[in-house]
Amino acid sequence: MIDLVIGWTAIQSMSNWARRNDMILHMHRAGHGTYTRQKNHGVSFRVIAKWLRLAGVDHLHAGTAVGKLEGDPLTVQGYYNVCRDSYTRQDLPRGIFFDQDWCDIRKVMPVASGGIHAGQMHQLLDLFGDDVVLQFGGGTIGHPAGIQAGAVANRVALEAMVKARNEGHNIRVEGPEILRKAARGCSPLQQALDTWGDITFNYTPTDASDFTPTAAVAH
Amino acid sequence: MMTNPVRKITQGQFSFLPELTDAEISLQVDYGLSRGYAWSIEYTDDPHPRNTYWEMFGMPMFDLKDAAGVLMELQSCRKTFPQHYIRLMAFDSTRGVESIAMSFIVNRPASEPGFGLIRQEAGGRTMRYTVHGYASARPEGERGGNGKS
Repeated sequence: MIDLVIGWTAIQSMSNWARRNDMILHMHRAGHGTYTRQKNHGVSFRVIAKWLRLAGVDHLHAGTAVGKLEGDPLTVQGYYNVCRDSYTRQDLPRGIFFDQDWCDIRKVMPVASGGIHAGQMHQLLDLFGDDVVLQFGGGTIGHPAGIQAGAVANRVALEAMVKARNEGHNIRVEGPEILRKAARGCSPLQQALDTWGDITFNYTPTDASDFTPTAAVAH
Repeated sequence: MMTNPVRKITQGQFSFLPELTDAEISLQVDYGLSRGYAWSIEYTDDPHPRNTYWEMFGMPMFDLKDAAGVLMELQSCRKTFPQHYIRLMAFDSTRGVESIAMSFIVNRPASEPGFGLIRQEAGGRTMRYTVHGYASARPEGERGGNGKS
């Protein structure tokens, strides 16, 4: 695992090293706030994500939209798409200003991490889809019955949600009910929902897209 | 900590959930087909976590667009290998993906003894670890459940 604070030349070198030595390079993004925090004189994380994809990292922390760290859901989806697309289409609400053909440049697996828990599984799957690493740190280790129970709870929640989505359920609406149902057969999940189920982080993100539809278009 | 507390191997999708019924399997197959995936069936009696490539049961069903056909193949595989692990896999041929997009176990042996950790003392104080499947200790054909293959 590396962070942005090591510098861009080191990221590139370590990426080459990791490729040569059969290692996966996990890009944690500590330090990105120094670029991304200020909208008027910074660098958007969308751009940093593109640089990191070009640098050849394998995983990239790209935000959660629902966790403890701020992030506008649409803008965060834009970061995810920049990591995973073969061909990125213009998508102004998500902060993508132009079409971009990635040709055969390797994709990056985006990582959602920071204050997420099993009770948000429907939101996470709905926002980010299949190709994503969901990192439940406190949401695993903080489980009242221990770490293994925490891991089981998260896995059961994920599998129940993927299964329901594939079966055609609208998980955004039915999500909480699907989780409650899965928890009936899995006490670790029930404990996890009892512990964290109600926790949400409400804030107004600073990284929302500049794009706003004009009144004429919005009609 | 037990490595196999419920005596059930957890690999692929849905392995922490109750076993899927055929109706539920059919819904997952339909979902894969709607995404343009090609289904295939594989089986093994050696579910070591690093045993990536199981034996193919027939060819991947690239042209099959109906879940009932996939289920029919699955029934045939279950009949031939009732005490093996069987999994369904969906291949996504999209340019840039070209990989397995779904994979889940749809048949298990009656008994799943799991794995043991073997510690080998090497030079100095070095320990080498390896995972050993109890089932694969027995000869082929005697690994599943009650001695039947």
